[in-house]
Amino acid sequence: MIAGAALYLFYSAATAPAVCAGCHKAQARTQPATPMGHALERVEDCDILRDHPRLTFQYGRYSYSITRQGSQGIYSVTDGTATLTVPIGWAFGLGEAGQTYVFERGGTFYESRVSFYKAIGGLDLTMGARAAEPQDLTQAAGREMIHKEVADCFGCHTTGAVRGSTVHFEDLQAGVLCENCHMQSAAHVAALKAGDAKGAAMPHLAAMTTEESAEFCGRCHRTWAQIAAGGPLGILNIRFQPYRLTNSKCYDPTDQRISCIACHDPHVEVVRNTASYDSKCQACHYQRANAPGKVCPVAKKDCTGCHMPKLDLPGAHKKFTDHQIRIVRANGAYPD
Amino acid sequence: MVVAFRLPVLLVIWCMLGRAEEPEAILQRAVQAHQAGDMQAAIQGYKEFLKIQPASVLAHSNLGAALAHQGEYGDAIREYKEALTLAPDNPAIALNLAIAYYKLGEIGKAAAELIALRARQPDNQQVNLLLADCWLRLGENQKVIAMLDPMYAAHRDDDGLAYLLGTALIRDGQTNRGQLVIDKILHNGDSAEARLLMGTTKFSVHDFAGAVKDLARAVELNPSLPSVHSYYGQALLSTGDAAGAVREFRLELQQDPNDFSANLDLGALLRQDQELDEAAQYIERALRVRPRDPGAEFQMASIKVAQGKLEEARQRLENTIKESPTFVEAHVTLATVYYRLKRKADGDRERGVVQKLNAEIQARQPASQTSAPGPTEKPQ
Repeated sequence: MIAGAALYLFYSAATAPAVCAGCHKAQARTQPATPMGHALERVEDCDILRDHPRLTFQYGRYSYSITRQGSQGIYSVTDGTATLTVPIGWAFGLGEAGQTYVFERGGTFYESRVSFYKAIGGLDLTMGARAAEPQDLTQAAGREMIHKEVADCFGCHTTGAVRGSTVHFEDLQAGVLCENCHMQSAAHVAALKAGDAKGAAMPHLAAMTTEESAEFCGRCHRTWAQIAAGGPLGILNIRFQPYRLTNSKCYDPTDQRISCIACHDPHVEVVRNTASYDSKCQACHYQRANAPGKVCPVAKKDCTGCHMPKLDLPGAHKKFTDHQIRIVRANGAYPD
Repeated sequence: MVVAFRLPVLLVIWCMLGRAEEPEAILQRAVQAHQAGDMQAAIQGYKEFLKIQPASVLAHSNLGAALAHQGEYGDAIREYKEALTLAPDNPAIALNLAIAYYKLGEIGKAAAELIALRARQPDNQQVNLLLADCWLRLGENQKVIAMLDPMYAAHRDDDGLAYLLGTALIRDGQTNRGQLVIDKILHNGDSAEARLLMGTTKFSVHDFAGAVKDLARAVELNPSLPSVHSYYGQALLSTGDAAGAVREFRLELQQDPNDFSANLDLGALLRQDQELDEAAQYIERALRVRPRDPGAEFQMASIKVAQGKLEEARQRLENTIKESPTFVEAHVTLATVYYRLKRKADGDRERGVVQKLNAEIQARQPASQTSAPGPTEKPQ
């Protein structure tokens, strides 16, 4: 049971980014190149598969390979006596940490049991796969995805395809594009063309409260309610930034200085220079009697370096920034 | 819950039909229409007669029966109550009242009437089995066991009784005893009832694929078996087939609009699909069957959250956690509601409760279950 309803639905009839670019030039120019814009890649466009024409991996008695054949990526697993070979359907993730593959077989969707990891430049088990020992070749190839899971995955990694709990692949736009967040763009465009300024109004996402932002972004990055009710607990939830952020002592659901978009503009590449976030912290933690936050007695810069440490996520071959802002104690336990 | 009760509405035949006076002629015509199946004419006649003789037990009772036949249970209940005010010791009318409550989904009230009736007629098998069915619907499995256990010892050939007792035992977690009780039904060969019991037994031990197989066969053998679609839907849902589950829940509700599980699960699925108005209708009905059920209350509160009716959601959730203080999802949603209502301190308090409850849950689990990554973890 997932507590806390999503504020918005994935919307149908996605408007092509090129149409949006007609007016929203700045956003349309940069957003498609962001990691969210590449949350899913079609196999023919996938740089990782293009740059790594043959990937191999051995785990137990199973041998895995992904080979490039023309515009296709062919996924193969063998136990030495039998072999299962399928074309990869979709590549999930830009590869910032890694990339997992989804394929369809007999009308059922599967998540590949191996993923590409940028840090090692090759394949390893997909996170979670280590917990279950495959009983046959099909299980060795991948984990069967239930109907709702397919809709959830494509809903968060693509645009325009998911309506209700059904994926309409004919309408799929790879990656998270304008419509995925802004919705109602078709009506917006039609109203504008008709000169109906009132009818062209769209939800003003920047005006959301901090709590609404956390829930909105949490549709895909996971809300506090989702993790609190259904897990995972422990270090595995470090990737779920809205959950971590809203666990912070300084989180205030009504103060926009701590909202997701106070620090991150989803239309541009995420800023990697940690020092650039200092001003965001100092919006509250400044030297004045009525300041909402205390002033750090240790340092005046690079706040996130100490208070939002990068932690290793087991199995991911990557450190993730912990968005639960806190005073980190030496050898302190990971706070849930 | 799973026994195909026949619920005959008892028509009290008036023995004074021969009299020729005008009011009695009206009543006679009404009874004749009733017996001929013309309910509208019967209802009209009884009402006409009651204008002249408002203290007629027979007319009130028969009018109730005719209204119940038409599915107008609320009006039927009013007439039965009127009749019982005039004749408080009439067991046939009391049973009709209980049946009307049952049909309306007021299972608690039906059970209360049946308990009173059972005190006067402890050997009335129809009363006993209907009461057991009500208790099953209310989740009162132990009451069913306490009542039916001694009866089963004396009536081992009664499949209906075995069915109810076996179901109560399985639902109460007494799977082995339940299996023994239902063995006799299973030995009678492949039947929808046997498959349903096997399916629900497998479901209770989380063998969902096995449950789906048995329940599909039960549906094939007898699609009209009460609750069979409801259980099949639950099993399908547990294997991830939400569309199949919705289909089965709808089929169940066509047969029995008051099936608690079908109403609750269908409402929850529709809520997830943001079909909020339709979801609310099913959850409301589930709450009529089991008032204050925490799961149903939680679903209704979640619908209110999605509709932006935060104050209403807050009140429901606060009541729910008063009744079920360890209901994690209710605390989680209440914390979210407090935050949306800009009541940070209350939200923080609820979050603290969630943290404490989760820590307790983790402490009870084996270490391997708390450290293993979830199945959907993947790199990004």
